Amino acid sequence: MASLTSDTELPTPMLASQSIARRIFHRAVRSSAFRVGIVLFVILLLATTFYPELSGIDPTKMNVKARLLPPLFFGDNWSWAHPLGTDQIGRDMLVRTLVGLRYSFLIGVLSVVVTLLIGCAFGTVAGYFGGRIDAVIMRITDAQLSIPMIILAIAILGVSRPTIPAIVIVLGLSNWPVYARIMRSVMMTERQQEYVRAAKVSGANDASIILTLLLPLLLPPVLFTSILDIARMMIFESILGFLGLGVQPPTPTFGNIIADGRKYLMNAWWIATMPGLFLGLTLTSINLVGSALETARNAIHEGKS
Amino acid sequence: MFVMNFLIRRLAQGVVIIFLVSLLIFTLLRVVPGDPVRMMAGGMAPDALIEQIAKDMGLRDPILVQFGRYAAGVVQGDLGQSFVRPANGAATGGATFNDSSRGERAEVFDLVVDALPMTLQLAALALAFALAFSGLVGIAGGLAPGRWPNKLAFYISSIFISLPNFWLGIVLTLLLSVKLGWLPAIGYNGFGYTILPAIILAVELSPVLIRTLTSSIAAQMGASYVAVGAVRGLSRSRIIANHVLRNASVPLLNLLGIQFSGLLGGVVIVEYIFDYPGLGLLTINAVLQRDFPLIQGIAIVTSAIFVLINILVDLAATSIDPRLEY
Repeated sequence: MASLTSDTELPTPMLASQSIARRIFHRAVRSSAFRVGIVLFVILLLATTFYPELSGIDPTKMNVKARLLPPLFFGDNWSWAHPLGTDQIGRDMLVRTLVGLRYSFLIGVLSVVVTLLIGCAFGTVAGYFGGRIDAVIMRITDAQLSIPMIILAIAILGVSRPTIPAIVIVLGLSNWPVYARIMRSVMMTERQQEYVRAAKVSGANDASIILTLLLPLLLPPVLFTSILDIARMMIFESILGFLGLGVQPPTPTFGNIIADGRKYLMNAWWIATMPGLFLGLTLTSINLVGSALETARNAIHEGKS
Repeated sequence: MFVMNFLIRRLAQGVVIIFLVSLLIFTLLRVVPGDPVRMMAGGMAPDALIEQIAKDMGLRDPILVQFGRYAAGVVQGDLGQSFVRPANGAATGGATFNDSSRGERAEVFDLVVDALPMTLQLAALALAFALAFSGLVGIAGGLAPGRWPNKLAFYISSIFISLPNFWLGIVLTLLLSVKLGWLPAIGYNGFGYTILPAIILAVELSPVLIRTLTSSIAAQMGASYVAVGAVRGLSRSRIIANHVLRNASVPLLNLLGIQFSGLLGGVVIVEYIFDYPGLGLLTINAVLQRDFPLIQGIAIVTSAIFVLINILVDLAATSIDPRLEY
């Protein structure tokens, strides 16, 4: 990080010679949104990585004596041992929330990876070769984009056992058309460029042009955009959990904790609201970083610096 | 003449999209495990009976044959009958399955037509809230690039997009209807019950609207006609109201067309939380009960609405900016 940030002080002619991806990154790092987002994100990441083990509290361990304790400074029987209070059978809410965050983040990242693999593969093929393949792929994306992905996900997970791989694949499959379209459009403009034609004339085959010339150039900006989708996927994962179609209890996830806490909303409001607050904070940090990168990308594509 | 050509072409494309959607849903429902007959006949029914019923209903034919039969019905305006919902609206259940009672089951068309106005009311109110709010924040942000209204718009949209709709629904119910008693929340018993769900949907819709509005207004303000307008002696407010907003609304319109399926996804969850009797609740129940004809019917109706909205959006965009061609 240190060496990267010091690069921003380089004079502009040097900047112009850097790859587009690095210029986008440097521009984003300078924005306050990116910094706020990354600090928040690192804090949450450290907390979710270390706190559950360091505190030594088992997220599924019941403790009937300490049930329905309120969070810090609320009510009169709060305790430092349970900063976010406990649920109806005395499980510590902070540990449960942080373990839920692990699953949520894991599923979010993995499903975006699946989306990217499928979407970019189809988009690259459609954009590079054009013609009939392109027409077929684009009509399929049209059709899938007009069905809300949440309905597809419910339809599939409602019957198959909702294990983590199943959830990742369903979420990944539901969003690929967006990336297929992005990849197709950049591929279509780029394949007209002279260096691509030159490579063709000098005898390079299509596969090597795509893999060695086009993808290294076009993929990084798409990857920046996909950070925003990690946040979207985490929301979808929690929706599925809320409907009972996510990772199954006793494993705590945001969705099933909130669905559980909804039953105790009247006498223990913190069970349903606290995990959501954490999810909201995590998503805000990811969205701030992602949006800063996207803004920087748009600015650079419009030719400012 | 141009409009006629446009309409014919787009409607033809729309028919193709609807066809693909129904084929996709139809195939998917039958490939995914989960036997609707088992749901209808109940867990205790013997396997032989289930096979018998499935054969009688044609559920063991090849998928394409089934689809052909279904599509022939749809073309004649027949969306089929629900697998599980009785026509009289009584509780659904599989245990009493009896083949002679098939005629009593509800028509998919009626179920959809009953639920659709409720959802349209919810969606319209949500859209009104979202446009009013994001108009306020987005226009202010777009007119002041780099200054605090712009930053505010950025942070508001970043936070709003990070609020899970089901959680926000629970929190706002707790605050506005349980603690403060301002708004009714669960079920439907008059127009007031639409407001809270609509607020949740509006929060979900606003971030993209704010972002688009901010960036398109900022881009329009840099266009040469704004500078020329000032030279011609037009006041700044008049340039903004009559020219900038008009041009900046084109990307917003296109966005509304694309956002439709996102809105529908939100409707499903919000209607489920608030037990609001619209298309979303119907959908989620149909999916969980594996009510194939109902899911297919809903998919066809929603994709038809999707196509129509996008045609209307493009027509409106061309009338705002005649240079656009479709």
